[in-house]
Amino acid sequence: MRLARAARRKGPGVSEESAPRAGGEVAVAEAPAEDERRPVLKRKDNRAWWLVLPVVVSVAFTAVIPLMTVVNFSVQDVFGPNDRVFVGLEWFRSVARDPEVRAALVRTLLFSAQVLLLEIPLGVALAVCMPRRGVQVSVALVLVALPLLIPWNVVGTIWQIFARGDIGLGGWTINNVLGVNFNYTLDSTDAWITVLVMDVWHWTPLVALLAYAGLRSIPEPYFQAAQIDGASAWSTFRHIQLPRLRGVLTIAILLRFMDSFMIYTEPFVVTGGGPGNATSFLSILLSKIAVGQFDLGPAGAFSLLYFLIVQILCYVFFTVLTRSGR
Amino acid sequence: MAAATDRTTGRRLPWARTVFWLYIVTLMLPLLWMFGMSIRPNEDILGSFSLIPQRVTFDNYVTFFTDSSWYSSYLNSIIYTSLNAVMSLIVALPAAYAFSRFRFAGDKHLFFWLLTNRMAPPAVFLLPFFQIYQSVGLFDTHLGVAIAHMLFNVPLAVWILEGFMSGIPREIDETAAIDGYSLPRFFVRIFLPMIRSAIGVTLFFCFMFSWVELLIARTITSVDAKPIAATMTRTVSAAGVDWALLATAGVLTIVPGAIVIWFVRNYIAKGFTMGRV
Amino acid sequence: MLEWMVWTVPTALVFAGLALLLAVMAVWGRISPPVARRGFLRIETDRGDRLYIGLISAAVVLAGWIAITDLSMWLALGCALLVAVVIGIWG
Repeated sequence: MRLARAARRKGPGVSEESAPRAGGEVAVAEAPAEDERRPVLKRKDNRAWWLVLPVVVSVAFTAVIPLMTVVNFSVQDVFGPNDRVFVGLEWFRSVARDPEVRAALVRTLLFSAQVLLLEIPLGVALAVCMPRRGVQVSVALVLVALPLLIPWNVVGTIWQIFARGDIGLGGWTINNVLGVNFNYTLDSTDAWITVLVMDVWHWTPLVALLAYAGLRSIPEPYFQAAQIDGASAWSTFRHIQLPRLRGVLTIAILLRFMDSFMIYTEPFVVTGGGPGNATSFLSILLSKIAVGQFDLGPAGAFSLLYFLIVQILCYVFFTVLTRSGR
Repeated sequence: MAAATDRTTGRRLPWARTVFWLYIVTLMLPLLWMFGMSIRPNEDILGSFSLIPQRVTFDNYVTFFTDSSWYSSYLNSIIYTSLNAVMSLIVALPAAYAFSRFRFAGDKHLFFWLLTNRMAPPAVFLLPFFQIYQSVGLFDTHLGVAIAHMLFNVPLAVWILEGFMSGIPREIDETAAIDGYSLPRFFVRIFLPMIRSAIGVTLFFCFMFSWVELLIARTITSVDAKPIAATMTRTVSAAGVDWALLATAGVLTIVPGAIVIWFVRNYIAKGFTMGRV
Repeated sequence: MLEWMVWTVPTALVFAGLALLLAVMAVWGRISPPVARRGFLRIETDRGDRLYIGLISAAVVLAGWIAITDLSMWLALGCALLVAVVIGIWG
């Protein structure tokens, strides 16, 4: 865990180390590497609140006021600003017991679990295989990162086209070369697989980039020692590289979990939550109730329960991230 | 060091490079396929399946740039994402400095609260946003979308900048203070130039996350500030889906990110973890 | 201006209570700065952390209660407050 703490404290030093110098015109030498040893001493000064005030005000406007409104929605049946009835906790009761909501929750958790199981090992393997020297590195970094920078709805569009049996290379190959009947618009298993593969395609690069940054920070003597001991590639990985990746992998796991837990755009574009309810995740179901049906009350109660789950997960995330070193 | 590492892993895993470049090829296939779609006429796409385009045409691109519903929504997206990136940065800079340099009452909790906003599903905020922006007259304006996207971009910017700023020794602040610089003057004259790469990365990530967001942007706009992503979800007409034009729009929305990525490639990992790596 | 927020008395009271709680915590922090320690939660927490964990746990109790039983919500509120207090003191 020392690594994670050191990495966090080091600031740009790490990315600089992990970055190749070839053509690295953006790499700057603003933080010395020995930064690691210097503890950051912060001065206690409550006047710093004036500096964070703009953030507090802007986020209050975009987050707190809307959230208060959601709370107000959730206890009323709203027909209009002046035409509403207080219903108490009725919406919470109906949402919490709605089998569709529960199914969506289970589906989302299952999806997140599968995403983690596939993306983390794949990303680490990819990072191990990534080139470490020369122009190749820059090209590799850019190509690997490319899917991350594609607008999410376009990721959906790409796979919407690619996985189609009639006009998409992927779907066509499965249907005509492998001879398996594959249609994500009709078959719920196929739809699930399409969304899962899409997510793996989209986000494995993130895990790979993080793991790569972690691998680059392992000092060379570790490898030399392993070489002298005649360690195999696997045991080098298992006993030297993997333990050192714990810090970055914590971040990767938790980021991937949070983001896959609120996935909306990509499956919305590809399947729209269907066929039936096969890929209707929490966010898709919620926005269907909120925007599609404009049911303010149930949507409010749903939002709050969803938000509660996110708060808990987020707290776990934050705790693991900031306290793991102690 | 890099060279030696390369030698060790290189000899140990001779197939590693092959595996890696194979993966890259698989990664690129769907992308290339979409590009292939964008340079075919629609009749060819639906007519018969072929790996290589039979006829190459740039008509789809011409259509995109001459049909105002397409290019104006593309412009809308660029306008509100730029606006958002600048606003988020300006708000986040002092806060990130405060978090990286001072301890103050409730700082940890404030930091955590910011994080929860980055992690909160946008779907939760849909309805109130719709109501808020209609009542304050920001509905369907570029400024409205830019402000709404600050929800997740301000926390992101604070986190990234704080990560970078913590890497800069405090001694610099102290030396400047001894030299008689006031805090604002030190910040603008000395500190900002020192973290200009961090500012670049932050701008890039704010731009990026605002550019890829669909749900909120679609909900609080209708015509005048309609984002490209929303236009893309409405390509279904009576004649079916216009696949070629959809693919064209897809290709064009990748372009801005693909250009800028080269300049920030060394900091991408850091940006995605919000400055924590 | 504030009409679209559709305030009700109970929700206003809840938020006023939360604001009051935050204010009390701020003042208390001024008088005697919080000390981090380890309780039965096994992680280092100061009183602000415990307040947060307590509130979230209380919310979980309420949400679980409403999802499972038809018993009175006042009973649930009692349990939730109890959980929050226990975490606040010994957590």
